[in-house]
Amino acid sequence: MTERTEKGRVRLQTQDWVLSLILPGLGHISRGWWGKGLLFLGPVMLLGATLGLGVSKQRFAWLAGPPKYWVSTTIMLVLLFLLWTWALYDLWRMVRAEQEEQYVRGYWQMASRRFSKDPKGIVGLVIILLVVHVALFAPFLVRNDPIKMDLRNFLGRPSPLHPLGQDNFGRDVLDRIIYGSRVALGIGAVATILNMFLGGFLGLLGGYFRGMTDAVFMRLLEVVNSIPFLVLVLLILSVWREGGILSLMVILGIFGLQPARIIRSEVLSVREQDYVLSAKSVGVSTWRIIMKYVLPNAIASLLVVTTMSIGVNIIVVAGLSFLGFGVRPPIPSWGAMLQEAQEYMRTAWWMAVYPGLCIIITVFGFNILGDSLRDVLDPRLK
Amino acid sequence: MFGYTVRRLVQMVFVLFALTLLIFALLKLMPGDPAKVMAGLGARIETIEAIRVKLGLDRPWPVQYWRLISGLFNGELEAMTYHKPVWTVILERLPATFELGAFALIIALVVSIPAGMLSAIYRNSVLDYTVTTVALMGISIPVFWLALMLMLVFGVILRVLPVSGRGTAIETVVGRWSFVTWDGFRHLIIPSVALASVQMAMNARLTRASMLEVLQQEYIKTARAKGLKERVVLVKHAFRNALAPVVTNVGMQVGTLVAGAVLTETTTAWPGIGRLMIEAISRRDQAVVFGLALFLAAIYMVSYIVVDLLYAYIDPRITYD
Repeated sequence: MTERTEKGRVRLQTQDWVLSLILPGLGHISRGWWGKGLLFLGPVMLLGATLGLGVSKQRFAWLAGPPKYWVSTTIMLVLLFLLWTWALYDLWRMVRAEQEEQYVRGYWQMASRRFSKDPKGIVGLVIILLVVHVALFAPFLVRNDPIKMDLRNFLGRPSPLHPLGQDNFGRDVLDRIIYGSRVALGIGAVATILNMFLGGFLGLLGGYFRGMTDAVFMRLLEVVNSIPFLVLVLLILSVWREGGILSLMVILGIFGLQPARIIRSEVLSVREQDYVLSAKSVGVSTWRIIMKYVLPNAIASLLVVTTMSIGVNIIVVAGLSFLGFGVRPPIPSWGAMLQEAQEYMRTAWWMAVYPGLCIIITVFGFNILGDSLRDVLDPRLK
Repeated sequence: MFGYTVRRLVQMVFVLFALTLLIFALLKLMPGDPAKVMAGLGARIETIEAIRVKLGLDRPWPVQYWRLISGLFNGELEAMTYHKPVWTVILERLPATFELGAFALIIALVVSIPAGMLSAIYRNSVLDYTVTTVALMGISIPVFWLALMLMLVFGVILRVLPVSGRGTAIETVVGRWSFVTWDGFRHLIIPSVALASVQMAMNARLTRASMLEVLQQEYIKTARAKGLKERVVLVKHAFRNALAPVVTNVGMQVGTLVAGAVLTETTTAWPGIGRLMIEAISRRDQAVVFGLALFLAAIYMVSYIVVDLLYAYIDPRITYD
């Protein structure tokens, strides 16, 4: 099948790489690959604009005097570097692919091809990337310190200076929302990744080996699942005097055990398949069977569950903070902002409307991405 | 089937026992002293100590644990900060949550089932895209924010509905109910619509998926082939079969309803058991937290068992023995 029409050498012309070095994506465009070119150009423009803002506010680490915003700055530089090299590499690859036609496509290649034709997933991905962008470069985007109060202008209406208004301490709502995205995404992502690893591990081993470990694990799961999740988390959180971001991550990470369930059931069905049996019969080691046969089959549903549960976790964290059990003020988080807004409903609607919209947009992004991933990766799932 | 039910109930007792240990441990680890909360600010140390003795907080942990457990069973356990038996506190608040949950469920089902059906029947139409998008939005909206927005629009701006609280309630033999009065009913609208939103979205998605699956079955093809009217095919053959998973899933959603109730009740000042939970935790009323958590867990687990039994009843192919 993989017949090569021409064994040409890779011909990347000078103008290609020069253009690509000037701005990632220009090289693609000059060769006529507009879609790919814009795919590189867009993020570069966005990062560039953010960088400009950061520099103009003198918040770019070395301009801010002592290294203060070095996390954002470093990430910015790394991302720019990656974009540049990746664009060059991609151009080289595409030029090569043009010369040697490729026929065989793997599972992931087919999946990504299906994904690129699904507007739902792309919209979701774009939303998520934008929110991640805001979270990463929050210091470059805000105008003021989100914790700094301005008591003379408390409950200020939305105005050109404060587009989304000011809260009960005169803090800018937009700035607080921007910083709040860090809390929401940070907790959502870390907790989900933690319980993906934990749950994936337990589910994988439990589902494959059955026996004692599995039985104990399932009983534990039953106890934890016997009480509404929110109530359990409320009880556990009350043990900590200071709610705090770290305890939220850990608690949600340990007790959100849905991934374990799903992985386990997936593994249970895979281990009965003929190819696992045949691998066993020719003496493949257990570890190798798990890594090479069972895990890859379970990973699609794991990915879907992960995406969706980041969204769920963001809502749960917002709910807990709203109840006063999660992230405590003055740290800006969307849930806590809504809690403060509740008292001022009659006078300051902007305090309640905008943080909520941000939660919805972000969670919606994760939900439609998850929905589309499910269609793309595993058409069997509903 | 009887044997299975008994087995599940026995299993449930064990799980509940494990849960009592977990909750008791958490209660003991919580900072804050219920005696101090009860004595109020500026109380003398002797007063606090006296209350501690009265509540039995000075006894060893196993004794305290036994006190809570046995008190729950003979109904004599006093709430620490409410000056009433725990069961009285819980049962007083239960009707409020029950009517809220029931209304939310009715609203959710009345909207979501037709929506899901129609969107499956007219697959890939504008209607379908609207329903699926709105449903995805629905699972992305935090219930408490929706409640806030409804309060803002209908209570503060339009002034057509009361903003919060429960309104007039009528005392009956089985608790105080507010939906029977006009005022109480008006108060019920905002919280139950907010609470219904998630259920609505989930059930619409579920109904759509299950209807799509049914519509691909052979018997639908047969029904069409023998010349039945499309209406009859859809209503008599497809609808009934598609509904089974939706109905059983309602039982599974009790947990979501309870979690939603905690948030909705706190937002709209609805005096139900959800708000009681938050209150009791912040007052460090260990007796109420303990009783309520077990009560919720028991409801939750019984509803799971009922779902499983219902499933076997609806689909005779399933047996558990």
